[in-house]
Amino acid sequence: MSRRRIRNILLKEWTLLFTDLNSAFLITLVPFLIVGQGILYIWLASRFAGESMLTTQVFQTALQKLVEAIPRVAQLPGNEQLIVLLLSQFNFFLLLIPTMIAISVATFSIVDEKLSGSLEALLATPVRTWELLLGKALAGAIPALVVTWLSAGVFLVVVSGLGWGHLTGFVVTAGWFLTLFLLTPAVAILSFMLGVTGSSRAKDARSAQNTVLVIILPVLALIGIQITGIIWFTPSLILVLALVIGIADFISLRAAVRLFRRESIVVQWR
Amino acid sequence: MVIIETFGLSRHFGKTAAVEDLTLTIEAGEVLGFLGPNGAGKTTTIRMLAGMIAPTKGYAIVAGHRTDRDVEQLHEIIGILTQTPGLYDRLSARRNLEYFASFYPSVEAQSQVEKYLKLMGLWERRDGKVGTFSKGMKQRLALARALVHEPKVLFLDEPTAGLDPEAAGEVRQLIRTLREEGRTIFLSTHNLTEAEVVCSRIAVIHTRLLALDTPEQLRRRFFRHQIVVQLESLDSRVTEAVKNLPFVQEMREEGSQLVLELTDPERNRPELVKAIVEAVGRVIGVSEKQYPLEEVYLRLIREEKGNES
Repeated sequence: MSRRRIRNILLKEWTLLFTDLNSAFLITLVPFLIVGQGILYIWLASRFAGESMLTTQVFQTALQKLVEAIPRVAQLPGNEQLIVLLLSQFNFFLLLIPTMIAISVATFSIVDEKLSGSLEALLATPVRTWELLLGKALAGAIPALVVTWLSAGVFLVVVSGLGWGHLTGFVVTAGWFLTLFLLTPAVAILSFMLGVTGSSRAKDARSAQNTVLVIILPVLALIGIQITGIIWFTPSLILVLALVIGIADFISLRAAVRLFRRESIVVQWR
Repeated sequence: MVIIETFGLSRHFGKTAAVEDLTLTIEAGEVLGFLGPNGAGKTTTIRMLAGMIAPTKGYAIVAGHRTDRDVEQLHEIIGILTQTPGLYDRLSARRNLEYFASFYPSVEAQSQVEKYLKLMGLWERRDGKVGTFSKGMKQRLALARALVHEPKVLFLDEPTAGLDPEAAGEVRQLIRTLREEGRTIFLSTHNLTEAEVVCSRIAVIHTRLLALDTPEQLRRRFFRHQIVVQLESLDSRVTEAVKNLPFVQEMREEGSQLVLELTDPERNRPELVKAIVEAVGRVIGVSEKQYPLEEVYLRLIREEKGNES
């Protein structure tokens, strides 16, 4: 029964999501803006800053970590080492896509239903809180995940188009796949769970968005940690990180159910 | 068979009592009108009976389920029409119903949706976006949603509020159809005429239960049984003749009418007419004096407010 209910929530949410121009636009546009922006920065850095960037302490440390992880990088010319270093950040950079979409879509998921009055009718059905919240989170996380994977494909195509195709072998590694297919789903679900929880606790969409905005910080931290060479995320480290966030997904679902106060929603919202 | 029972049901919000010590029983198949002014606790009572909020004191049993404990089972056997239709405007009427129907186990969604869209007169518009519907159509669709899983008890929270007279009439007619099908309906309303037309019993609430009875019995509680004799014209011979009748307890003239209180209205009526005719009075009609339910309601509320002050 639960599977049927969750599937039904998914289908309903998707119908609403893709019939709303703003949401559809956001889901299709944000990923390409993020990919485009990232590639533009890399191109600008390689074109205008060149090898001089590598002489800075920050990049020296990061490059050292990269060479430790992929020794073949050391054999590349300096400019290409820089490009590989920057392209290697892209797997974490792509994590911004599900988190950004979560901030925009998930934060409205409960608030909108509160405002329209449909939530009260929904809460009068036998639907369980966890089914509702998981259905709502997955309804956003799945499309966000799909567009993230598509964006990764677009990224590789554009990289090849810019004449860096021979460098993709240094970027598309086991860590790249683990990030895309383990870490990204875990982060997407967590972002949407937090988004939905924020939405269920907030008094309006704006305050929900403000609350949920913090979920982007850990992703930015990951990018910052790797690019400054504090930690280089090896495949095993990414695996551990994905498992930790996977556990956080379950914890966040349980927390979301506890924080979802049916009675307050019914009484305080009209 | 009793289907709803409440035992000292109370709900407080902070220090404010929304519902206080509500005790009532409702039989299966009964349509109970729940009347009261704004803020009287009607919606709070419905929410407690529907297991959506918990009582702070007392408890209720609906179709054998404690409303504060067996919430999931309760939700499978009740239907609720909330004050706002709460539909998804960008979905079609059919999709709206299918969505809600799918939450109930063992409900054949497609056939049920078709049945209720037809009953509500919305079958032709089944694929239309709900956002394009009129208020009345939305309300009918929300009613269909409340019924799609064949609930044992139906809670209707002001189902005609905000509708134009035609749309309100349509919804009222649907409620009557449901009553004829033998459904148990708990109807919260401001509309006294609606309550009288649709309900078998009426409860008047103002935080606490003020009265619960049939409309007729409620009238009798405040107004004595009176007979109205409509005459072609009224003269002293007739009034004298009537006044002298032993069973006439009280007599009042209202234009060409006589308003009378009789010892036994059913038995005394033929003798009364005979006396008037013998006094050369010309009788147009004899009927019972009807007091609108509104007067009963207002008296109850005024009395309660008087007690409070």
